[in-house]
Amino acid sequence: MIKLSDLNSCKALAEVLVGLIPGGVLFGLVEGDTATWIIKSETFSIKMLETGEKLDPDSATMKAIHEGKVIHQNIPRTVYGKRLALTAIPVVNDAGEVKGALAIALPKLHPIATAFTDFAPILAEMFQEGAILYITDLEKVFHRHASKKFDLPQLAAMGYELEENDIAYKVIKSKKPMLVEIGPEKYGIPVFIANYPLLDADDTNEVVGSFGIVTPKEVASKLRAISGNLENGLAGISAAIQQLAASAATIHNNEQELNNNIIEITGYSEEISAVSMFIKDIADETKMLGLNAAIEAARAGEAGRGFGVVAEEIRKLSDQSKSTVPQINKLTNSIKTKVDGASEKSKGSLNSSQEQAAATEEITASIEEISAMSEELNRIAKDL
Amino acid sequence: MNFLQMVIFSLDQGEYGIDISCVQEIIRIPERITKIPNVPSYINGMFNLRGKVIYAIDLKERFQLDHAERGADSRLLILKLEELMVGVIVDDVSDVLRVSEELIENLSSEIGSIGDNSVKGICKTGDRLILVLDEKRFKSDIFQSIENDMEEKV
Repeated sequence: MIKLSDLNSCKALAEVLVGLIPGGVLFGLVEGDTATWIIKSETFSIKMLETGEKLDPDSATMKAIHEGKVIHQNIPRTVYGKRLALTAIPVVNDAGEVKGALAIALPKLHPIATAFTDFAPILAEMFQEGAILYITDLEKVFHRHASKKFDLPQLAAMGYELEENDIAYKVIKSKKPMLVEIGPEKYGIPVFIANYPLLDADDTNEVVGSFGIVTPKEVASKLRAISGNLENGLAGISAAIQQLAASAATIHNNEQELNNNIIEITGYSEEISAVSMFIKDIADETKMLGLNAAIEAARAGEAGRGFGVVAEEIRKLSDQSKSTVPQINKLTNSIKTKVDGASEKSKGSLNSSQEQAAATEEITASIEEISAMSEELNRIAKDL
Repeated sequence: MNFLQMVIFSLDQGEYGIDISCVQEIIRIPERITKIPNVPSYINGMFNLRGKVIYAIDLKERFQLDHAERGADSRLLILKLEELMVGVIVDDVSDVLRVSEELIENLSSEIGSIGDNSVKGICKTGDRLILVLDEKRFKSDIFQSIENDMEEKV
């Protein structure tokens, strides 16, 4: 109860309080059934009572006057568009008769919204990559705080009116929290938005707004891009190595063929040796023939002189033929030496190409391991 | 100037020459040589040359030179020594040489008087040194003690 005599001090107090109460406040004095004095905070935007206006007889203030006691009432959103907590205190004269009432209207705020300005600056900086914190009522964003590290001014701007596709809108409709990842196409970088419905403290079936936290997913996104690139790179390397392995196999086959050819060449040079032995035999035979002819010619005496010359020529010829044999043998020996060298080198190449094939296999195995790791990395990046 | 025409053959490292008039022909060593019992081992045996019986003599063994294996060049030199056909096995027949008799030096009398060898001289031509055999002494030198037996058979 307020006494008429105290009313002026109450008014003075009210004038101070309108500037102090966060979220705003309205004080109204009702005499009889008419509002005679009203004072409100600048931030108090609800149009509810004007000076000179008559009050509804069913209103809480009128009830306080009739019943002569303090009335507390929560006024739902349906009445003024905003929720209000109303307190009406009867005003009595010295005789104790109720002459009117002092009404105090406070917009009703969810505790999260009330505390937002206190916790948001702290919480926002606690996220490693920074965060944007915001609170909406049923229509628009009315609290917003962005970290120093991260901000997207176009995302949940102050006063932004919710649209059907917005996450906050969906959360308010469904009354269920939502965790949504948004790709880089919308805000330039990928972000993660977590939105939670704010329920009325008195009526938990009623949604009064939503609380959202936006965090960047840049690191995860980069990681994913890198692991993707890594996978592509590895696929390229893998393909190159397969090509390498294929050419190593070709080299191996060629070397094998070369080796076979060398063996054949060795066979040919042995055949040449055999042929040269045959030449030697013929030369020996020819020589003997020449010698016998010379003997015959000598026996024939003077008559055999001409024949003796022929015999001499035959012997010379056989000597010449025979002298080619060591030359041929020398050549075939040179061929054999060179071919042996070539064979040795080709065997070396064969071994090297085998080693190369083995090394390629090892590399392929390592690449496969790295590929598996990069796939794992990709998976982790997706889960981040 | 008198010339001597010789058939040159080799035994071991040395070269020998014999007058071409006693040489009948040169052949490869026949595969089949029939052994003769109870004769010195340098008489390898005998074989049939176009219907004629020829005795095969290993001349290296007879001359007591280092015994070497017979090679691909080993030949049989058919000689007609005073109507006796003898085949001597030599390491190689290399040449028929016509040399001036002046090029032939006699073997020094000290060497010539030791033992029985049929060398009558040394022919120097170029840097070659050819031992010239005396075909007349050659037959008796080869057969020595068994000569009589052989003549009986012929």
